[in-house]
Amino acid sequence: MRKVAIVGTGMTKWGVRSATYKELVQEAGKDLFDDVRNLEKRDVDSLFVGSALVDRLAFQAYPAPIVAEQLGLTPTRMAMRTEMACVSGQSAIRVAYASIASGLSDVAVVVGAEKMNIPSFPEIQASMACVLDREWDGVNGLNAPPYFALVAQRHMHEYGTTEEQMAEVSVKNHDYAATNPTAHFPKRVTREKVLGSPKIAPPLKLLDCSGITDGAAAVLMTHGDAAKRYTDTPVFVEGLGQALSGSLVVNLESLTTWLPLKRAAADAFKMAGVTVHDMDLAETHDCFTISEIMEYEDLGLCPKGEGGRFAMEGQSRIGGELPTNLRGGLLGCGHPLGATGVAQAIEVTRQFKAQVPKERYVGGEWGLCHNLSGNANNHAVMVLRRGG
Amino acid sequence: MQEPDGRFAFDFYPVQSPEQTRIHPFFENLKQGRLTTTKCERCGALLWQPRVVCPKCNGDAMEWVDLPKDGTLYAFTAVMAGAPLGMEKDVPFVVAVVQLDGIPLKVVARVDGAKYEDLRMGDPVALRVIELPDGRAWFRFVPKR
Repeated sequence: MRKVAIVGTGMTKWGVRSATYKELVQEAGKDLFDDVRNLEKRDVDSLFVGSALVDRLAFQAYPAPIVAEQLGLTPTRMAMRTEMACVSGQSAIRVAYASIASGLSDVAVVVGAEKMNIPSFPEIQASMACVLDREWDGVNGLNAPPYFALVAQRHMHEYGTTEEQMAEVSVKNHDYAATNPTAHFPKRVTREKVLGSPKIAPPLKLLDCSGITDGAAAVLMTHGDAAKRYTDTPVFVEGLGQALSGSLVVNLESLTTWLPLKRAAADAFKMAGVTVHDMDLAETHDCFTISEIMEYEDLGLCPKGEGGRFAMEGQSRIGGELPTNLRGGLLGCGHPLGATGVAQAIEVTRQFKAQVPKERYVGGEWGLCHNLSGNANNHAVMVLRRGG
Repeated sequence: MQEPDGRFAFDFYPVQSPEQTRIHPFFENLKQGRLTTTKCERCGALLWQPRVVCPKCNGDAMEWVDLPKDGTLYAFTAVMAGAPLGMEKDVPFVVAVVQLDGIPLKVVARVDGAKYEDLRMGDPVALRVIELPDGRAWFRFVPKR
């Protein structure tokens, strides 16, 4: 197996964008190709597109050829769309890794893109509800916020987690988003503002929830021998793990412990030969505030049930145990489903290359990316290391 | 997506007729006020949702069995904003994980006839069958008071 590195990054502004899916893809591509030296587009032999809801929200199936044309690419080795709902972006990186490591691909572009905002808000919500089993879960009005509200209620019941602790996660991630000009919500919020924001699905309030956001992100990946042609600081993918359980909410092993996360993290750390305590920074999937609290626990950063305390103590801020979601997370940046995982890898890469504002600069050598999808039935963990 | 005459090409509810699905007995039983599911005749596994092949032993002979019509609230919330298409007029509505009485099975369902603020974990609820405008059936629960 060959070493695989991320050697270039491209981002769009995220938000409610006056731009189509294809235009977002073009913007991310421009930022990527401007970032990379010595790249001829004909050298890109593979393309992986992470888009979750493009069929419904852009009314466009089969997006890989669309993206290839928008970017001026003609892949000759591997091209596909990866769809795993909110994990679609990391899935694209993961498949690119597998293809490059095996020698099937040499140079791959990975694009995560999502156009979420369309005129009908109920249509957006219907598309999101179809991420769950539409016939038995979605049909009952269950969607991301109410599902994670059930999780939060159980976590509060079983472990004493509080709404104040959850609010602190939102405060932290908005603090960091304020340093990120590509974020959808680059403004600080107070704990009182989070607690007083409109109820969406109690105990979750508006500022406990990530936004409905348009955006795209792209990375260039290649094998270790070629990495230095494109950048002085390649970022190596050292560990990968993914675990998937079934789909129906009532058949999950647990609402309050994410066993697939534990499995995915164990595999990724084992592959990389490190532990969570070796990480210098982490990007975790804070689709809701309760999610990040459970991620501290199930990644092994604190004992089970103490994720809320971990947040309140500032252990996930710069200077704490593990600085988490320094780009602002999903809460601060918004969540264009397929783009999120790619943008997380970009944050870690840009941290290692000291390409982020000093207010959120950590740098270091090891970074973690985590995504979950659906009703948290699928988790993916990726361990990155600064090279060069 | 809607057709020009306003009909939905799809909605959230499962197809239910014998021409469309092999688990049509679930819906026929539901219309008689019975909540049922399949039990694998080979390995005895109680399966939810109803299945035509057992995911545990690969058996494909299924027995229809009645489930309890009573349960308790294991977890619940209310959709107060952001309802999916077709459910906007129902906001706010309660959705719950209901622990069925006496068996190790939970189901997700809406809870009618109650405000979120008035409910507590563990509250007893009872089955309520609803009829959809086109004649299909679905199940919800109501608080037992």
